[in-house]
Parts: sequence; structure tokens; C-alpha cells
Amino acid sequence: MRKIQIILALMIGLFTTVNVQAQDDISPERKQAIDSLALEKVRDLSKYVSIIGSKNTAWSEANRVIDRAEELFMQGAEMGVSTLAKPEVDYYKVRQYFERLMRLNYDRVEIEWFKIEYVSDLQRQPDGTYVGVITIFQKFKGYDKEGGLVYEDTTKKDITVYVKRKETQIGGRIIGFWDVLLGDMRVKETSK
Amino acid sequence: MLKNSLYRFYVKKVAFALFLLFIVLGNNSLRAQSLTVGQIDVDETALYAMTKQMSQFFSRFNNEEDQFGKKTWPSNPAYRNQEIRKERLPLLFDQQNPRTTGTLRDFFIDDLTKSDSSFLKFTGGRWYSEVSATFIFKGKEVQVILILMIEKENLGSKWVLTNIYFPTFSKMFPVTKMSDREKSFLHPMSHELDFMNIYKAFKEPEVIEYYASKAFKADYLSLFFYEVKLGNMKFKNVDKLKFHIFQIENWYFEVSYFNRSGNNSGWLISNLMYAPENEKENLLMFYQP
Repeated sequence: MRKIQIILALMIGLFTTVNVQAQDDISPERKQAIDSLALEKVRDLSKYVSIIGSKNTAWSEANRVIDRAEELFMQGAEMGVSTLAKPEVDYYKVRQYFERLMRLNYDRVEIEWFKIEYVSDLQRQPDGTYVGVITIFQKFKGYDKEGGLVYEDTTKKDITVYVKRKETQIGGRIIGFWDVLLGDMRVKETSK
Repeated sequence: MLKNSLYRFYVKKVAFALFLLFIVLGNNSLRAQSLTVGQIDVDETALYAMTKQMSQFFSRFNNEEDQFGKKTWPSNPAYRNQEIRKERLPLLFDQQNPRTTGTLRDFFIDDLTKSDSSFLKFTGGRWYSEVSATFIFKGKEVQVILILMIEKENLGSKWVLTNIYFPTFSKMFPVTKMSDREKSFLHPMSHELDFMNIYKAFKEPEVIEYYASKAFKADYLSLFFYEVKLGNMKFKNVDKLKFHIFQIENWYFEVSYFNRSGNNSGWLISNLMYAPENEKENLLMFYQP
């Protein structure tokens, strides 16, 4: 799967090299295409979170999905989590965050995603990498053995997205492509 | 069962990526919200209405996005359209605050929509973050306000610290009258006596600054860095964030985050002041000394 993604990214790069080379600002069309690539990563993340959180997912399968989810993120990315009751931010490494999700002490959980997504403008950081933030919303419900709802929240997740122009050589030809990786994620409970 | 669902998910992903490739090749504009994995079919009006990021605050302030949060571009007649902007700007104010809902707000909106230069720019300077944070200072929890601004560097930009506010530091350098300082000086012939009288300056450490030039200004950021470097000031957590915006000619406003239900939430204008440009300089001294 990873290979297919890389090949597709390379193909996109192949056909976009001319437009993008030596330009500082991203054109609106390119920005929209990059937004879509970034949103695709965030949607993958949403799927993975739902699978990892589900009590029907076998332990080994959940671990495999955690591996996939981890690949979406830059090394060293962190999750900053706060709730209405505890506004102080708790920091977790990506793997640690997913492992906590996997071990949540509910008999059944429901993780649903709102359709709304917001993608910020991309800004360039000093090394030239573009950085943006995608905001999504998640509804979480935890049930006990009797099927009673014991916990629910809606969280706003602001996810950093890094977009970098990269080049690779295929058959002696330099091919450019856009590499999209997720970075730190801020998880904040919204008002009830 | 789960393996099957994962497989179907992967197949869908490939199909989506191919679809994306065709779109990119065809140079068509993509609808960022055309495909979602969301499963909740509830009223999301409040979430659409929420100003979810400062980036969105800028876009809405400038009227560079539609009501669904989708970016518009200069080729679109709705982009920065002043009529539409005038209708939407009131939604960017905290509607539960009399200071941001009265006639001053209406004057501000009139001013904004009259001029073609009243648009916010991310790298345009004169906007600052105020981060209230908790530190441990010499073993005790204290609140420190950090002021940051966007600074251009190399290929892009970054947030940099420009000032801090920490009452313990401010109390060290109180604002004093000239009459208080009149008795504390080194007379102009002190040099002839090898400054034998300079010990007097250090006898009263609490007013040592009286012996400095009248141009002296305490640099709180340096004091702060000094304490951090010594290990006396240790970061604990960020408590609150707000923004101070001076970019609009003759106006200052503050933007805060409102985590509440309803259609007036997220990043909203929480304070507004008419501030002629010559008066702004004094205000700016705090943010960028």
C-alpha cells in the first residue's frame, strides 16, 4: 500500500514539476491539490483511530494499524490533549496516544467523525517547508457492560501538516513530488 | 472481517488517489470538502459557524472564504467582496460582550469596508500572540505572559519572543518621578576621585537604576532568559492564548478563543479600540519594545 502511495505521489510530481519548479508561492490550484493530499492523510488517520479504538479489533490487528498510523506522522510528533475538566495539556508520543486509545477501559466505544474539515493556508517556515493545520471534529462515546453510556465527548483536533517539495531520480530523470506528513496534533474538548 | 474492511479501505484509497491524479492532471479545482469519511449526520451548523483557526479568522476577516469555509481566490467575484464582507464581519465579534457589539463595532466595520487596504496579512507584522503560561520560578508556580510575533527568516517565517510580562520583574523597576531620582546621582567630577563615591550607588540596590542614563529601559526579555538559563524559571504549561492586532489603520483589536456552544464560537474579536496611529506607538512599545 505504501508503495502504491509513493508511486502515485511520484506520478503527481512527474506531471507537476514544470509548474512548480523555482516558485516560492504555491498557486491556488496546487494549494487545492496539496490540501487534498493532506486531507487524504487525515482521513486515513480518522479511519485508523476508529479501528484502533474499536473493541472488536483484535489486539494484533490494532497493533498493525498503529504501525500504519504512526507512518503518517513525522518522527517526534506529539499529541497535546486537554479536556474541559482538565485544561492543562498532557503530551503523548504518537504511539503512546494510540496505545492508550487501544486500552481504554470501556466495554464498547463509538468513534464518529463530523463531516466538517477546515484546512488552513500553508505558510513557509524558515527552511522552506510548508506548514498548515487541518481541523477535524470527533465524537467519542464509551459504554459499560450493561450498555449504558458512561462517557462522551466531542473533540476538536488541530493537526499540523508538513508539505515538502522533494526530488527523486528514476531512470536517470529527476522527478519532483510533494511529500505530505502529519506533525503535532492538539486535541481539545469542545463545549458540551 | 476486519481484514476485509481494511482491504476495502485500501482499495478505496487507491481509487481516490487515482481520482486525485486525474483532477491534478486536468488542472481542475478540487473541492476540499467533496469527500469525507465523517459518519455523523447531525446539525453541524455550529461547527461551520465556529472560527476554528486564526487562519480562518484571517480568511473570514478578509472575506476570502465562502460560508462553508472553502477558500475563494482572486478570480472569484466573491473574493474580498466588500458587500458580503460587511454582512459577515459582525459574526467575527464576541456577541456576548457589550464592548464588541455596539456602535464602535459598526464604525469599525464601516471603516474596514470603505478601504481596499483594510485586509489582514499573515506576514504583514503588527500582530502579536499573548501566551499566558505557568512557570515554576524558584520553586513556586507563577504566571508569565509571553509576547510573540511573526518574523520573516530565510525562506519563510517563524514566531519569535518579543517581550514578557512578569510582575516580579516589573516591580523591580517601578515607574518613578524625576523628584525621586534627584538625590541619587554621581556628581560630574566623580572621575577625578577615581569614582570613590560609586559605592553609594550599590548601597541601595532597589534603586540602582537611578544611576543609569535617562534612556535606560529595563529589558524584561533578557531578565527572563537569564532566569531560564540559570534554571530558576522552568516552563510548566500554556494556560491561555489571545492575539493583539494593530495592522488596521487607526484601530486595535484583540482576538480570543470562545469554547462554547451556539453559532458564535471559536476565535472572535473580544476587544476593540479606536487607536490613531500616533497613539498606537505607545501601545506597541509593550508588544515590541
